[in-house]
Amino acid sequence: MASVRINELHKGDLPWIIEYDESKCIQCGRCTAACSFNAIYPAAETRRTNSIASKNKTERVLVIKQNISLENYCRGCGMCANVCPNGAIKAIRNKDDKYSVVYRAIKADSFKKGGRSNLNTEGRTLDKIKVGRISQMTDPSLDAQRHTFELKTPFGRVLKADKLNFDIRDGEIIETAQLPPVRWIYPVIFGDMSIGAVSWRMWEAMAIATAYLNEVMGIPICMCTGEGGIPTKLLKSRYAKYMILQIASGHFGWNRILKAMPDMTEDPAGILIKIGQGAKPGDGGLLLASKVARYVQEIRGVPKADLLSPPTHQGLYSIEESVQKMFLSMNAAFKFKVPVAIKVAASVTSVSVYNNLLRDPYNIVGGFFLDGLAAGTGAAHEISLNHTGHPITSKLRDCYLAAVHQGRQGEIPLFAGGGLGQSGSFAADAFKLICLGANGVFTGRMLMEIAGCVGNDTGKCNACNTGLCPAGIAAQNDNLVKRLDVDKVAQNLVNYILATDIELKKLMAPIGCSTLPIGRSDALITVDKHISNRLDIQYGC
Amino acid sequence: MTVCKIKTLKNNIRMSTQELLQTIYKKIEDGVTEFDIEACGQHDIGSAVWNKDGKELRFHVTNPGQRVGGMAMDGVKILVEGSAPADVGWLNSGAEIIVQGDCGDTAAHCAAGGKIYIGGRVGTRSGALMKHDPRFEPPEFWVLKNTGSFSFEFMSGGIAVICGYGCEDTTSILGNRSCVGMVGGTVYVRGNVKGLANCVEQTPLDKFDKDFLKSGMPEFLKSINRGDLYSELTDFSKWSKIIPLPKELKEKKIPVKEFISKEWFKDGLFGDLVEDDGEVFTLAQSGKARLRKPVWNPKLCVECDLCKNNCPQRAIIKQDKTYASTDEKCIGCGICAAVCPRKAWIMETL
Amino acid sequence: MCRIGAIKSKSKFHPSVALKLMRSQQEGHDDSGFAFVMQDMGGIFENYKDLPLLSMAATVEGTRLAEDILREIGFSRVMQWSPNINNRKGLKIEAMPNYIFEVLQYPKSYKHATKQEKEELLIDTSIRLRKTLDEISAGFIYSFWPDTLTLKEIGSPRDIGTYFDLWEENKDLTSSIITAQCRQNTNYDIVRYAAHPFFLEGYTGLVNGENTFYEKNKFYQQKLYKGYIGFESDSQCLLYTLHYMNKILKWPLKYFKHIITPLEYDEIIKREDKEILLRIKASLSHLEINGPNTLLAVTPDKELMCVCDSKKLRPVVIGRNENTVIMTSEVEGINDLLPNRDITKDIYPNERETIIVRNDLTVERWPQ
Repeated sequence: MASVRINELHKGDLPWIIEYDESKCIQCGRCTAACSFNAIYPAAETRRTNSIASKNKTERVLVIKQNISLENYCRGCGMCANVCPNGAIKAIRNKDDKYSVVYRAIKADSFKKGGRSNLNTEGRTLDKIKVGRISQMTDPSLDAQRHTFELKTPFGRVLKADKLNFDIRDGEIIETAQLPPVRWIYPVIFGDMSIGAVSWRMWEAMAIATAYLNEVMGIPICMCTGEGGIPTKLLKSRYAKYMILQIASGHFGWNRILKAMPDMTEDPAGILIKIGQGAKPGDGGLLLASKVARYVQEIRGVPKADLLSPPTHQGLYSIEESVQKMFLSMNAAFKFKVPVAIKVAASVTSVSVYNNLLRDPYNIVGGFFLDGLAAGTGAAHEISLNHTGHPITSKLRDCYLAAVHQGRQGEIPLFAGGGLGQSGSFAADAFKLICLGANGVFTGRMLMEIAGCVGNDTGKCNACNTGLCPAGIAAQNDNLVKRLDVDKVAQNLVNYILATDIELKKLMAPIGCSTLPIGRSDALITVDKHISNRLDIQYGC
Repeated sequence: MTVCKIKTLKNNIRMSTQELLQTIYKKIEDGVTEFDIEACGQHDIGSAVWNKDGKELRFHVTNPGQRVGGMAMDGVKILVEGSAPADVGWLNSGAEIIVQGDCGDTAAHCAAGGKIYIGGRVGTRSGALMKHDPRFEPPEFWVLKNTGSFSFEFMSGGIAVICGYGCEDTTSILGNRSCVGMVGGTVYVRGNVKGLANCVEQTPLDKFDKDFLKSGMPEFLKSINRGDLYSELTDFSKWSKIIPLPKELKEKKIPVKEFISKEWFKDGLFGDLVEDDGEVFTLAQSGKARLRKPVWNPKLCVECDLCKNNCPQRAIIKQDKTYASTDEKCIGCGICAAVCPRKAWIMETL
Repeated sequence: MCRIGAIKSKSKFHPSVALKLMRSQQEGHDDSGFAFVMQDMGGIFENYKDLPLLSMAATVEGTRLAEDILREIGFSRVMQWSPNINNRKGLKIEAMPNYIFEVLQYPKSYKHATKQEKEELLIDTSIRLRKTLDEISAGFIYSFWPDTLTLKEIGSPRDIGTYFDLWEENKDLTSSIITAQCRQNTNYDIVRYAAHPFFLEGYTGLVNGENTFYEKNKFYQQKLYKGYIGFESDSQCLLYTLHYMNKILKWPLKYFKHIITPLEYDEIIKREDKEILLRIKASLSHLEINGPNTLLAVTPDKELMCVCDSKKLRPVVIGRNENTVIMTSEVEGINDLLPNRDITKDIYPNERETIIVRNDLTVERWPQ
């Protein structure tokens, strides 16, 4: 038996403890076979026998043990419990977890993880807001199932009416100049998760769901590619028009996009310049080498190594510059026919950025995506994930009201994301943010959850960074990726959006809205006085 | 019995609805069964009144306000000369209501009995929520011309007949988005119909339908003084009927799987980048789906057979002092390696 | 609900006609007020069509303050009309001390001013008068514009008519257009300004309805033009949008429906003018109006206009003969005034059209 020293990792330090009931175990081996983290293993244990007849006073017994290792440790994903026929094994959260302390003490490196913030303890603002304006006696409410509702929002630079340069000829308005491109899209955007951050199967399932919703259901949903390129096949297909191509500081995949351009038959839905990410603002993209599979290397043009996108775009040191370089170039690349938007992490400074963009004289800023701190990530330094960022709700509201103050609301559409659906009410979160001024929302979290993600906001699994995702979503190990059923995930994504569509209407109907209630904060109340003051919505108690 | 005449406007002073209705109640109490009312927009004329001896009550009305014949009952006949505003025959439970001119919005709304005959047009949401109590005759709602939009919303029973007379140039006799949420009843319509809800179907008339229209038409036309139109309106070439679709036909969705096989890239989006035949692995599946596999080292093996005996999948076979794990059976659990006293089995990560 | 009406006639008529139009629609409103705007004046105002006519109700102090301001700016009184007040006991009216209807001459310095400069002066003066009167709650200025007279009061329409002696026809006070409302305005405080019709620079609007996009509209309109003030009623938004579109943007009236009730995207893309309509839908999305409503309006060209919400939730009907067109909430009002008209020519506007009554009383129906 190995000697035990104090200054090592011990079982009691691990975030999750395996609780194993030997009496129920039939030694089928399925738990260890299923564990993608190699956190448990079968072992022969020496036991003393109580038999007085036997010469041997010990016997060897087969049991399941937990690995005590900095690399192969239990994340609490629960796959062992899922496969065990007898309920003999499960992972229990360890309240005395010291893992990340020990990790730092031993590795001299910052601790990284995937998933979501673990500091979700304050209670969510959106949950303290209710849709409090119910049309009853005054204006008749609508019927969610039967009346017509239009769930479409403009995406692109919207000019003020007096800047449209309209002319009147024979009593008809005519256009006199090429105006910035505007798309009418569904107010929910499939958030930017790159090929690499998620598995090829997950990415394909999202793309299928997007195509299906557009072409079969008539729901014009868009999907943002994330910064990991896009299969050339898709670019050259008719489905390209549902895709928002992302460019971030790493510029991954753009070589292939440029090469494919002459063969593209459709303009993409838009371009999203990613400056920051809500889950880890101020930090760049992070794809650890373990996830840089061969096809990822190919699409991105990189070797198998940790891939770090710098936190800032090289060469952009002011908002004016970024407008000039990124917006102008991206607009130009698609001949000023594709809306170009920007995504930043919500921050104390978001309003300044938004104000600057609103004043953009070239009308080339087509959307402002604001990502709040409860957003998820494929991989981040824990310190960034847990301690940086800004909640989405008040910042979205600030930006909208800043535009209102200048009489420019709606000119650069606002899209909000970050932690939507955290308490199981995605449609309600989306609706409330729209009432507070968002043109729409984007989500990655919900897509993962729909696809079968077992993680949560309080530290369960959160191993997206490892490539060992047990659900095949953020995995890059072939055998794990193949656990994901593309058909089923695509169907579930579709179903979830159809359900969300019904639920959004369920909220639009009682407030008497047949179109999106963008900026209709009068429909909201809050049970929290501070939130009431901060967001300028009615306080109810 | 003499007719009770009521003039509701005298010297610029208008009788309020309450005053008029109280007067009517009083007269009915006194045995009056016939009224001639020169109204000035008073509401609810003919509503919820009956003769205690079961005699018929008749109202002849000019210029009524809203809800003429609203909540009207069996044994009541109301004739409106000219047009009437909203809610004619609202919740009618048995009266015969005739409006010789046009009606405002929501005529026959929630009507559940009786007959409503309209000599002109009716407004939006007319016929909405009409219903039929099977113990009684179904409500009938006859309109000479056309309806406004959103007509027959949520209709659940009864019969409506919209004759489309003089509406040849009208895009849709029933307005836009008619029959939304309709679950029962029948709407007969003559002429163009556009923008129907997708929960209903428009079909040709059968013999029963034609017989019904033929038998009911004379009384309707007589009531609105348009007997001359009988032959024109009983030419059934332009008639059709609208009935709710059976539930199973309302929602037709193609499964995503079918979309993938018909419309999506044949070898998948990443077919040229990864090897993927589309198989979905289950947890703890044997063969190529394993995360790890055992590798045997003959140099260390002492042939104790513990591995073979403990393998839960019976995957290990021994042949001539050689052990092997069968891929098709092995799930990669690592028990062989765990029980081997000599580390002759090592688990290799795949 | 309130009840509204608009009458346009080839001959000049007295406001008693409006009272009679609304009388039979009594139970459609709450008997809480009466207001009207007369345009294209006759009678004693016939000869002053080009000069601004001030309509104001004020306290003694307010009257003095207003007169001071007008004098200071350089306006001089040309003519004044006072209603013949019948202050008999028991009338349900909350009357103001003074009602001022006076025709003023522009300041001397405006002798050669353009129409636009004069209009600018009138709106600036109106805003200043309103602000001053508001500060000490000393009165209300309803309109200050040529050829336009406004009266608004709280109380029973019948008694308001009696108080101002409006039931008896009188050749002095006539016009060819009158818009009137009997109001129920319990959604917000009962404020005189909140009573329709609203008037701004030649545009008159009155609405039977609710505007659930009120706050959204208001936020946007406040920054569009200095004259967009008040917002005592969510219906003012409809007038301001009409004014913004037609006067400021100079777009034809037929685009109004495309702003307040834009077609759905799927409808628009089937149309030839889809590019324009989508731009309008995006750029003026904050002026969209949801909720049930019917708008009656008068344009500076003195044409009548009627539009409804996209679900046609509120009543309206148009009846006419050779001499008169009447738009009103319910048909009984028209039956009282035009009993012998051809009712088959009555128009029941639908949710996707604009009705325009030209100056020769031809009625046009434009599909959206």
